[in-house]
This record gives sequence, C-alpha cells and structure tokens, in this order.
Amino acid sequence: MTSTSHRTSRLGRKRSESLVAYGFISIPMALFLFLSVGIFIYAVYISTFDWGIMGPTKNIGLDNYRKAFSDPIFLKAIRNSVKYALLVVPIQSAIGLYLALLVNSKIKGSKFFRSAFYFPSIASSAAITTLFIFLMAPDGVFNGVLRFFGVDTPNLFNQGAWLSDSRTALYSIIGLNAWTTSGTMMLFYLANLQTVDSQFAEAAVMDGATRRQVFWHITMPLLKPAHLFVVATGMIGALQLYDQAILAGGADGSPDYSLMTVVLYIYNACFRKFEFGYASAIGVILFVIIFSLTVLQKSFFGSAAWKGDN
Amino acid sequence: MSKVRKYSFYSVLIFYSILTIVPFLWSLSTSFKPSDEVYQSNLIPDQPTMKAYATVFGKIQPNFQTLFANSLFIACGVVILHLIFAALAGYAFARLRFPGRDVLFFVVLGCMMIPDQLRLVPMYQLLVKMGLINTGPSNYLAIFLIKAISAADVFLMRQYFLTMPKEMEDAAKIDGAGPFQLFTRVMLPNAAPVLATVAILTFQGTWNDLFWPSIVLQSPSHWTLPFGILQFKGQFSTDWPPIMALVVLSTVPILALYTFGQRYIINVQLASSAKG
Repeated sequence: MTSTSHRTSRLGRKRSESLVAYGFISIPMALFLFLSVGIFIYAVYISTFDWGIMGPTKNIGLDNYRKAFSDPIFLKAIRNSVKYALLVVPIQSAIGLYLALLVNSKIKGSKFFRSAFYFPSIASSAAITTLFIFLMAPDGVFNGVLRFFGVDTPNLFNQGAWLSDSRTALYSIIGLNAWTTSGTMMLFYLANLQTVDSQFAEAAVMDGATRRQVFWHITMPLLKPAHLFVVATGMIGALQLYDQAILAGGADGSPDYSLMTVVLYIYNACFRKFEFGYASAIGVILFVIIFSLTVLQKSFFGSAAWKGDN
Repeated sequence: MSKVRKYSFYSVLIFYSILTIVPFLWSLSTSFKPSDEVYQSNLIPDQPTMKAYATVFGKIQPNFQTLFANSLFIACGVVILHLIFAALAGYAFARLRFPGRDVLFFVVLGCMMIPDQLRLVPMYQLLVKMGLINTGPSNYLAIFLIKAISAADVFLMRQYFLTMPKEMEDAAKIDGAGPFQLFTRVMLPNAAPVLATVAILTFQGTWNDLFWPSIVLQSPSHWTLPFGILQFKGQFSTDWPPIMALVVLSTVPILALYTFGQRYIINVQLASSAKG
C-alpha cells in the first residue's frame, strides 16, 4: 500500500466515522433541541406576553416579572420554598452522612441496615405522603406515640393537627422529606466513602488522634465531592417541591398558604387562572435560581470521573 | 469496639430501621382493618378484612388494574426510549470523533439544567397545539414525548463507554468491523451494567412521577397509580383502608424491582439523581 492511498483510506474512514456519529446522534440531538432548548426559548417568549386561555393578546415586556414580585402570595411561595430548602438540605445531608458512616463500618447486618435506610427513598412521593398524612392525623399514630410519652396532644397549641395548622404544616413536610431523602443522601456518601483511602485515618490514629479529630480533620475534608453533590442536588430538588405540598395542602397549599411553593404557584397560575404568560415568567424565575445553584455545582462536574466509578 | 459502644451503635441502627420500616407496616396493617379499627393502635388487626382490596380492585373507577396497567405501560415505554437514545448518543459522544462533538455535548449538559417546571407552560401549549391533550389514546403520546430523552442518562452512558478498554475495540477493528458493528457487537453487549442501571432508575422515576401525569393525563382511564392516589385521597377523605391498599399495592412492584435489581445498579446513581 502506498502512502497516499493509505492516507485517503484513513481520511475516508474518518469521514465515515463522522457520518456514523451524526447518524447516531441525529435523533437524540433533535429531541434535545426540540424538547429542551426550543422549549426553553419558547418559555422565555411566552413569559413576555399577556397570554390567557384564548392565546397571546399583547407583548407586555417584563410586566409579568414585575407583577410576580408585587404579589404577596408569590412572595409567600418564595419564602416557603427557600425556608424549606434551607432547613431540609442540612438535615437530610447530616442524617445521610451519619447513616453512611454507620453502615460503612464493619458490622454484622450492614447490608440489611443499608436497605432498610434506603427503603423510604424508593416508594413514590404520592404513596409516602399519603401514608404520612394518615400517620400525622390528630387521631393518628404520631400523636399516639406522643401521648404514650405523656404529651397531652389534644391540648397542644395545634391540637395535634400537625398538617392542618399553618404553624406546623411546613415543618411537618420538612420532617417527611428529611426522612425520605436521607436514604438517597446516604448512598451518595457511601459511594464517596468507598473511594476514600482508609490509610489516612489509620495513620492519624497511630499518631494519637481521637475519633473526633479524625472525623473533622480527615474524613470530612475527604468527602468534599459528596458534600458538594448532596447539597447542590438537595437544594435543586428542594426548590422544586410540589408533590408533597399538593397532596397535603391541595392546590392552595392550605392551610393559609403555608404549603404554597413556587412550583405549586406555577401550577395555579397555569391551570386555575389560565395566566400562561405569567406562569411562564415564574418558571423562568425558578430556572434562574436553580441555574445559579448549578453553576456552584460546576466544580463537581470537573471531578466527573469519580461518579463513574464502579 | 467496647461493649457499651457496640450496644449504643446497634441501638441507633435498630431505632432508625424501625423509623423507616414501621410506617410501611402500618399502611399494610391499615389496609386490612375494618373502618372502625383504623385509629386503634394495634398493628395486627383484630378483625382482618379484605374489604379494602375488594374496593380498589372492583368498586373504584378507574380500578387498581387500570391504574397499574397505565403505570406499567408508561414506565416501560419511557425505559425503552431512554435506553435507545442514551445508548446511541452516549456511544457517539464517548467513542467516535466528529466535528462539533464538544459543542453538542455541552448542549446536552445544558439540557440537564432546565427544570421540568420551566418546561411546563410551553410544553403544555405545544401539546395542545399538537392535539395530544385529549381523552383518547393519543394522550399517552404526550407523556412519551415529554419524557422521550434524558440528558442525565446520555451523560451516564457516555461515562460508562469512556471507561471501556481501547483494546476491545481494536480487536474488532482488525477484523474489519465498522463503527456500527462495533456498537452492536462490542459496545452494547459489554454495556449491560449501565443499561440495567438506566432501565431500573428510569422505571422507578417514571413509575413514581406525579407531576407530568397530573398535568397531561385527561381521562380517568389514563391515570397512573400516583395520580390515582392523589385523586382518591380527596374522594375517600376519611375512609383510609382503601387508600392504604393503593399505597401498598403501588409500592410492592417498585420494592420488588429494587430488591431484585439492586445488585445490577452500578455506582453511578450520583449522576442520575438529578432526575425526577
């Protein structure tokens, strides 16, 4: 084979490889461009219109955005979502980390405990929330346990009606989701723990470090990738709270809008008031918040090799 | 470990297991209770009855069988779509060289950042225009279109194909295999772990999803299990046993899948957890 024909055959192979590649990605990329990129642009476009059930009437620029920030219920929804996220994320991360450390030690039955702790994470939010509403009812099991420990639940400040009192509804949902999500967080921490070399901790123990010192100065810094991941995905998930809110509080986020979240607010604007332009603007606001958080998570993408580990 | 430490260690483990398992036992127990026993604190019903199951299998409209069939149909369809598209794109991005690859992959990563709630209004408008928001069978197409592809799964698949040894490919290339044969004969058969992972996680996510079905599915005969639970919870507000029967029946398949599939799930959940 002469060198020229060799080169052309290599060029030919390169071209055919490109053609095959385009063949492979054509449908997936078309779907992405249509279902995500196109839809995103369309969302921004809709958000600049007064767009009701009869379709768009006129372009109103940023008025939908202005309107959002002057609506007390929207501000309440933002406050609820942010309060929820700021409380649930540290709680579920801390429980997840604690559970991961527990089941990662050499103990009998660690496999059983791992499955048991992950258990609430696999059921649907609809099933779990419905069960939770039942357990938290004034006559339910939770109050029964409290009474067993001598708490006079009917005479509590909320009469033991945890989900139908505006002072305790959101905190109850925080408790619910800390319980269901910490199993998932545990798995993320476990994945990271298994890549951590135990020789650092062992060396520190040899040098006379206490358990507490090993934890704070060795284990915690080594788990940085998991911390970043758990907090970022936790925040993104928390800001999208919808299922639990509509199941427990209905579309109004009852009682007294205490379970009104940003996503539930979008749902209402869209399907009860048919203000599509306005609903789309709220969606864009939510995206901006989530996008900012994802940019913070970027450092995680930098260490992507870690999450592909077997 | 000292004895005291060991005991406190195990008591924490057991306490938390009780916290995660007992609520589910409670739903199981309540589903077998007659209505007047619902709020009693006995875990084993005094007079167990199958009435709640008779109700969800027979009396409610749509009945459990319909909800189950819809959930299964939608979840399986989405699994197949995700497997095909994620394998195709994941392979191309990981193992083939072509102009524009990095830019296109960056677009895929960007798609991971678009939350479903932002897609809600434009997607709904589009589906109305396409005539897919209706009470006929084409209503299912709306769900399949919304969920046709997942950027997280493409990413996951690419990561897996990247880790495959080059030698495997070289051997097949010497035998004269082109990129397409490489994909079907070498890559896919060796990608079973990641395909299983994508399938299980997608099935679970779709089976459990409440958001899109509650928005898109118009006819009660199309409802999925989570959507059915939401609807019946309103209807049966005080009659808990049938609702708990639905909770139990909707959780058992996903529990079985997880128990059976757990060992196939490779440690890549991190990448896919962002999905709903």
